[in-house]
Amino acid sequence: MIIRELIEKIEGEAELDFTFNEGKIEDVQINFGFYRGMEEILEGRDARDALVITPRVCGICNHAHLITAVKAIENGYENAGLKVALSPKAKAIREFTLSCELMQNHMTWFYMTILPQLEKLTGEISTQNYALKASYFSSTVTKAMSIFSGQWPHSSYAVPGGVTCDPSYVDVMQAENLIDECIRFFEEMLTGLSFEKYLSLNSLSSLGSVEGDLGKALWLIDKNEMAEAGQSHDRFIVLGDSVLAKPGKAQATKVSNVALRYVEESVQTGTTAKAVSYKQKLYEAGPLARAIVGKEPLVKSLHKRYKDSIFTRVFARVHEVATLLVQSKKLLNALQLDEPSCTLGKMLEAVDFEGEAAVEAARGSLIHKTSVKEGKIENYEIIVPTQWNLSHGNEKEEGVAVKAMVGSKTIQDATFIFRTFDICSVCTTQ
Amino acid sequence: MSMDKQDSVKSLFTAQSAKVDTNKGDAYYEALYTQCRARLDDLKKLAPLNNRMDFKESIEEEGLERRDFLKWASATTAMLMLPASFTPLVAEAAVMMNRVPVIWIELSDCAGNSEALIRSDGPKIDEIILDIISLEFHETLMSPSGHQAEKQLEEAIEHFKGKYLLFVEGAIPRGIDGYYGTIGAKAETFVDHLERLAKDAAAVVAVGSCATFGGIPAAAPNPTDAVGVMDVVKGKPIINIPACPANPSNMVGVLLHYVLTGTVPELDSLLRPKFAFGYRIHDNCERRGHFDAGEYVEEWGDVGAKNNFCLYKVGCKGPMTFNNCSIIRYNEGVNWPIGVGRGCIGCSEPDFWDKYAYERPMANANIKAPTGGVEKTVDEFGLGLLTAAGVGIAIHAAASVVAGKKSEDSKSEENA
Repeated sequence: MIIRELIEKIEGEAELDFTFNEGKIEDVQINFGFYRGMEEILEGRDARDALVITPRVCGICNHAHLITAVKAIENGYENAGLKVALSPKAKAIREFTLSCELMQNHMTWFYMTILPQLEKLTGEISTQNYALKASYFSSTVTKAMSIFSGQWPHSSYAVPGGVTCDPSYVDVMQAENLIDECIRFFEEMLTGLSFEKYLSLNSLSSLGSVEGDLGKALWLIDKNEMAEAGQSHDRFIVLGDSVLAKPGKAQATKVSNVALRYVEESVQTGTTAKAVSYKQKLYEAGPLARAIVGKEPLVKSLHKRYKDSIFTRVFARVHEVATLLVQSKKLLNALQLDEPSCTLGKMLEAVDFEGEAAVEAARGSLIHKTSVKEGKIENYEIIVPTQWNLSHGNEKEEGVAVKAMVGSKTIQDATFIFRTFDICSVCTTQ
Repeated sequence: MSMDKQDSVKSLFTAQSAKVDTNKGDAYYEALYTQCRARLDDLKKLAPLNNRMDFKESIEEEGLERRDFLKWASATTAMLMLPASFTPLVAEAAVMMNRVPVIWIELSDCAGNSEALIRSDGPKIDEIILDIISLEFHETLMSPSGHQAEKQLEEAIEHFKGKYLLFVEGAIPRGIDGYYGTIGAKAETFVDHLERLAKDAAAVVAVGSCATFGGIPAAAPNPTDAVGVMDVVKGKPIINIPACPANPSNMVGVLLHYVLTGTVPELDSLLRPKFAFGYRIHDNCERRGHFDAGEYVEEWGDVGAKNNFCLYKVGCKGPMTFNNCSIIRYNEGVNWPIGVGRGCIGCSEPDFWDKYAYERPMANANIKAPTGGVEKTVDEFGLGLLTAAGVGIAIHAAASVVAGKKSEDSKSEENA
């Protein structure tokens, strides 16, 4: 028996066809009915136009697209023999703005998707206005970001060689204030613990002291007996270099090196989304992958007990906000404002180059590849995080999200598992 | 460059471009005041829809002071280009936003406008407004999903027939019979979906450059044959709020205007509200002084960039772009692209994706110019950049003449 379910609130919608056998889900087909043709649109344009076009792939991870696009061009310039040396200031500002985007995504997902769905699953409906909480944190952190990026969404403030902004100390102080306000939210709303106390948690057993909305979510997952649900291949990939983790892949907790050239994209039938694999194997991308590859102690402690279940996955994403808050304060504190913002005045015109870059976006590794001939884009490839998690799989193994859902008894459970991957429809289909 | 050429260039850039009449005389405003008063009294008799929160209550819940609210109301009154005496009416209209049903749909988009809206403008006030706007349907913001959500949409259309405002985000792909974009269990194409929902709407509001003019999906070669709402919906009042993303203040502004007056705001020839799109970025730019003084950023990271000089020579399209971001800015007024030394990309102009979406000055861009190659004459002027911009302005001047006519015509149909 096949039952079709529509999934919304994933920046678009997806259609899941569930095949049941003896009361359990045996297979899931994931389809997207949406296509804009972003890669086609980029062909024939000036190489730098990717800086304006690609952020508009996605209303949520637009900034990650900008940073990936600019790094791909810089990589191309280097391959063409031009030395690109960013100032530490420019690097740190890019890292900061990207961190802000990750944080706003995680909190919006947590408050607008995870909590309401969990309440529905467990019948513990509260009258809380989660949308307002999500909006408060996200507005605050995107304000901090727009001090440097000008606006969010859809900024284009990063240019080959650095950034266009030249912040003053007042700007930096303003950003620090906003990050402090986010920390206050983290303490008062999310965890009910002082930030210091939260950061000192080091084991699964110490999680019991977490209260607030995170405490509630963990309790609801447990109450619904789902703490061990949603396990997949226990295989993770991180291709971008960030404050969270160095690039690497992991089978369970065994970490090894990666290289972009082993990433393969392929067309799938019945959907406009393409599949992606690494040496023909499927990997989970996103905060859980970053925590495992980056050897984050608290997440590893959960992983030891629950493997790659939804419990670990949900926690890893929220926990990443704490790590990013710490890191963004560090980045701001270390800014040397007298360094140059941009070290490449003139852009390369009419050259040939091949450039590629991977960046850790909110939902996982994002890759851009650009082939440029006489300054014009000949071919542009965008591989987005959700493709890693939603590939259908091959003869040998099921896709990451599919495997996580197989074995669920109800569609409600399965779609909740699906949402723990923080799906983005518009990115996946472009 | 000879002296009179220089003068003519100068006059182009210092000319008053604002074609919006900000003072229409006492008689006009008195009549409008009476109309608004009557409208609000009528709305007051209606019950709030869908058990929406009472705005006054939510102000208290959020610990917002009445003073902050009034501050917001007076800023919004100014944004809508109404005299200060309208402030109490605007405040009252905000409270009454839960009387006007809104249906919000997403088509071929990136969800960026919705995301911008929920990180809205104003000192926490628009966020509350978000809570009391009677959003009968919004995929991202509502709690039901799947078949349940579809059912809710159908019920809302039926129940509020002819009364709801339809907000549309995203372009409409028409290629392969519309199958580049489908929605719901029956895989209804975006074209059919929009036509069906627009049929029973009081008015349609296209939010963002995709819904207004096709946006990035319509960029050459327009793989999916994407167009904006006004190319699909006929016989309905349409309001366009372009920009990528559209400014949340303008979204709330249009809605407030409708609640307040029961009509759509005065529009230009591209159906954009004049209160937001009546002047150029360039007219009110914080770096305008440097333009006038001839102080430019020559390349990224130079001394000019450090001193916040004019970005025109590094490709700012502010002189060609009609929008109010230089005044209201983005992300609760924290900043805007020009504030971080990145020139305007003209994201609220039609065809910006092919005409302006780059950081190079117009004249250096290897594109077919919107003017059909008039740029070739720039050598004559010796200052190519300025000429290209001058042409841009001439086009807008022509458009505005049409706009004046349009606003006369549209007044009679605006009573929704």
